[in-house]
Amino acid sequence: MTSTLPAVTTSTVPAQRRPAPEVRSADRTPPPARLRSSRLDLLLCGALLAAILVVQGWNISAYPTLSDDEGTYLAQAWAVQQGKGLAHYTYWYDHPPLGWLQLALLTWIPSALDPGAMTVGTMRLAMLLISAVSAVLVYVLGRRLSLPRWAAGLAMALFGLSPLSVVLQREIFLDNIAVMWLLLAFCLAASPSRHLWHHFGAGLAAAAGVLTKETMLVVLPALLVTMWRHSHRDTRKFALTGAVTACALAGFSYPLFALLKGELLPGSGHVSLWDGVTYQMTRPGSGFILDRGTGSYGVLQSWLYYDRVLPLGGLVGALLLLATWRWSVTARALAGPALTVAILAALALRPNGYLPAMYVIQALPFLALVLAAGTASAAHAVLRRWRAEGERRLVTGGRYALAAVLAVAAGAYVVPRWYDGDRTAVTADANAPYRAAATWLGSEVENPGDTRVLVDDALWLDLVHAGYRPGLGAIWFYKADLDPAVTKTMPHGWRDLDYVVASPTVRRDAVDLPNVKAAIEHSAPVATFGTGPDRIEIRRIQQAAVGGAR
Amino acid sequence: MGESVTLNLKVRKHALHRKRLRASQITHSLCAVTRRSRLSAVSGGIGDLGGDLLLTSVFIAAVSLALFWMAAFTLWWQMHAWRTPEVLASTRFSRPDGAEQVSFSLLLPARHEQAVLDHTIQRLLESTHTDFEIIVIVGHDDPETTAVAERAAARDPRVRVVVDTHEKKNKPKAMNTALPHCRGAVVGVFDAEDQVHPELLAHVDHAFRTTGADVVQGGVQLINFHSSWYSLRNCLEYFFWFRSRLHLHAQKGFIPLGGNTVFVRTDVLREADGWDPNCLAEDCDLGVRLSSVGKKVVVAYDSDMVTREETPGSLMSLLKQRTRWNQGFLQVYRKQDWRQLPGLGQRLLARYTLMTPFLQAFSGVIIPLNAAIALFLDVPVGIAFLTFLPLVTAAVTFVFEVVGLHDFGKQYGLRVRLTHYVKLVVGGPFYQVLLAGAAVRAVWREQRGRNDWELTTHVGAHLAAAETIREDVPA
Repeated sequence: MTSTLPAVTTSTVPAQRRPAPEVRSADRTPPPARLRSSRLDLLLCGALLAAILVVQGWNISAYPTLSDDEGTYLAQAWAVQQGKGLAHYTYWYDHPPLGWLQLALLTWIPSALDPGAMTVGTMRLAMLLISAVSAVLVYVLGRRLSLPRWAAGLAMALFGLSPLSVVLQREIFLDNIAVMWLLLAFCLAASPSRHLWHHFGAGLAAAAGVLTKETMLVVLPALLVTMWRHSHRDTRKFALTGAVTACALAGFSYPLFALLKGELLPGSGHVSLWDGVTYQMTRPGSGFILDRGTGSYGVLQSWLYYDRVLPLGGLVGALLLLATWRWSVTARALAGPALTVAILAALALRPNGYLPAMYVIQALPFLALVLAAGTASAAHAVLRRWRAEGERRLVTGGRYALAAVLAVAAGAYVVPRWYDGDRTAVTADANAPYRAAATWLGSEVENPGDTRVLVDDALWLDLVHAGYRPGLGAIWFYKADLDPAVTKTMPHGWRDLDYVVASPTVRRDAVDLPNVKAAIEHSAPVATFGTGPDRIEIRRIQQAAVGGAR
Repeated sequence: MGESVTLNLKVRKHALHRKRLRASQITHSLCAVTRRSRLSAVSGGIGDLGGDLLLTSVFIAAVSLALFWMAAFTLWWQMHAWRTPEVLASTRFSRPDGAEQVSFSLLLPARHEQAVLDHTIQRLLESTHTDFEIIVIVGHDDPETTAVAERAAARDPRVRVVVDTHEKKNKPKAMNTALPHCRGAVVGVFDAEDQVHPELLAHVDHAFRTTGADVVQGGVQLINFHSSWYSLRNCLEYFFWFRSRLHLHAQKGFIPLGGNTVFVRTDVLREADGWDPNCLAEDCDLGVRLSSVGKKVVVAYDSDMVTREETPGSLMSLLKQRTRWNQGFLQVYRKQDWRQLPGLGQRLLARYTLMTPFLQAFSGVIIPLNAAIALFLDVPVGIAFLTFLPLVTAAVTFVFEVVGLHDFGKQYGLRVRLTHYVKLVVGGPFYQVLLAGAAVRAVWREQRGRNDWELTTHVGAHLAAAETIREDVPA
């Protein structure tokens, strides 16, 4: 038997994270070397996970309203499963395809068992898995960043149970998948064993995150900071360069893919990565987020409508942590998440940036972590700070009383609001009109294979399952104006169509889409589901001269 | 490798353009379908591919994946010492406690080395350890070196001279000659030009006592990285080997020992009948034989304590040296002592390590072939992706080498300039060619057969032996 020399003495390998256990107070249980073998951690994490799964999973397909984007990504995942390439229309480098490749993988078995299940409402269940993994990773990350057990649990609960999270994480958004990868990257970066290949893996996970949703790029500096703090002086240069190299090389696979397809640079007659990136970078701004009346302001309000505690509390927590960097152990430990929140907040505050509704998704886990860490800091200040050996019992009792009062006050503020929000999420049915429209189109139209319908992405898969031809029979409505491959088959414009399903999205976007607008104008509703601005009308084109290029 | 792949890329791009033109002429239906991802052609429509193309694709994929995994494993092992801070700390000598219990017999084979021998002996005599003897082994046909050795012996009773009277001389024979004369409990081996640290013996003594080891291997390091482009790479090879990979071998229980700064318990060495006089890599062979029968080997590397050496003086002597090692590795492989290793993993590691020259030759031939096939035949995008995998591992290796060079400079207090980094990266492919050349040469020489082996020993033995000792810095 052979072996290397035994480790010199532990003292020559100083723990890198400066806050050694002595600096920390007694209630900061140092994270166990293997979280898996800590029964208490497993119990707490398991119980919270069960609660999150119930709240997020219950009624998942009926609330919130199906979004157009969900339909887009799931339809593209369906196209991948069908062997139709990366999308059933031309893939135009709108986003890197890794996101829906993963979706295709996740939904492969269920859709193989029941092809009809490949619809947005049903496949939201796949997102439950993503949410579960992310929630567990938030807990693990909290522990690895030296949060006490209860604070890590609090972060997980904030992340998984905030009504804002519940609404957004239920939806099939690429951001949710990307966030999972980023959390994995952070967990690996903060690996207690400081293993070279863990850091390498962190780089790969970060690349997976970026290739799932490119906006994750902006979070990478915070990841690097985390890695720096958690690596050891002697091995740091290998660990960090390894991680950066892994991330860069994996990331380059995307331009390489475009290059191999001859679509890296713009040219006539084909899409290109360059054009796709240019489009994303020059999307018209939605105004300053704090200017009343701008689109960005509306987006902010829509977040705050669901929950104020997590976004605003988290933001305050992050600023607090960054401000107390010099004095607070917790602030230094949470530097990565706090920096992430700061970066994302700064980007959201650009004077005229484009702010999509899902922007906040990537901030949610970090908001939860910094809010929990802020709470832990506050608890520490109340219970431990300036506490001498022989402190009078009365004072100690006062500390605990104060802590209890604060906890009850916070609970009294948060719990009723979240209860209302989450109750809506598990009971409301926002998608009855969609389901009714899908049923109608599946049963009332005589010859779906020969019928051409303009429909929004969320309903598209339902129509495909009902027998409409994917692509040119069931048509993503905006393709009728924007995709030359589709307009070519409609020489007579709206006259070549049979139906248009006017959902709120279609009505909203028709303003800028002449063909869609004309189709709506030259059609009359044959069935209407729901009322008011959320109604869905199925409108039949009134021109009898159907024929065209079927 | 890099160039061929980029080239390959350009050609494929053109092919794609042609293809797209053709496609757009034929198409009647959706252009979306014609421009669909060609990835899907792999997953969905393998049937569409011609039989030959399919076969080619499978071949390219298999070769690329094999190369990828080879490079990945090598990289994994190369980075062993830096896995965690704890592993890194464990690769060092532990600090000696002052007690001394082990007595040393230090073997110093010298052949036509009158110029450096005296200095080496003087330096060895400066050791802080109190219980050691130096046995200088000289040839009966080498009066100049013998005279230097005799003078040293007359000055200090700790120095003794043993004369090797073998007709055909080589290092293992010389050391076997000296083995019966060793009085110490531990035999240590140095080369005549080695610079040995005075405190090394105390550290080794401590390591023997605290670990119960049968063998202690100290670090050997080439230092003159600034001499030439290949010495830069050569130094770094030693750095990664002694600093990192050798520790992995010790941990796994299979280790090819180095040629010097190696210490073996005398009884263990005698039990093993000393060194194999017919093996071109007798040091590697000894390590394999000892670890195969379960002897405990301990490796320690301290930048202060390493034995410093210089790279071979010319590219040709480097090539020759490498050829000899490779051939020695193959000989050890064919001796099959490693088959006694108890674990499957150990045997696989042994097989892989000893086959490395073969694999290098294989990759030297197969990489251009693979690239050429991918170049002239239009393969699907998915397969083209795979051909980039070995390139990815190569890139990661390069990056770690750059960082390793930085660390090397830090450890030895040497100033590494930007030009050295550039030389390191640019020289990489050329060094690979050199290694592949040495591997092919070794395989060829070994394949020329056993009959030929006898012939070489008969003909150029004297010259070869002289050359051997001069350039002997085996890993």
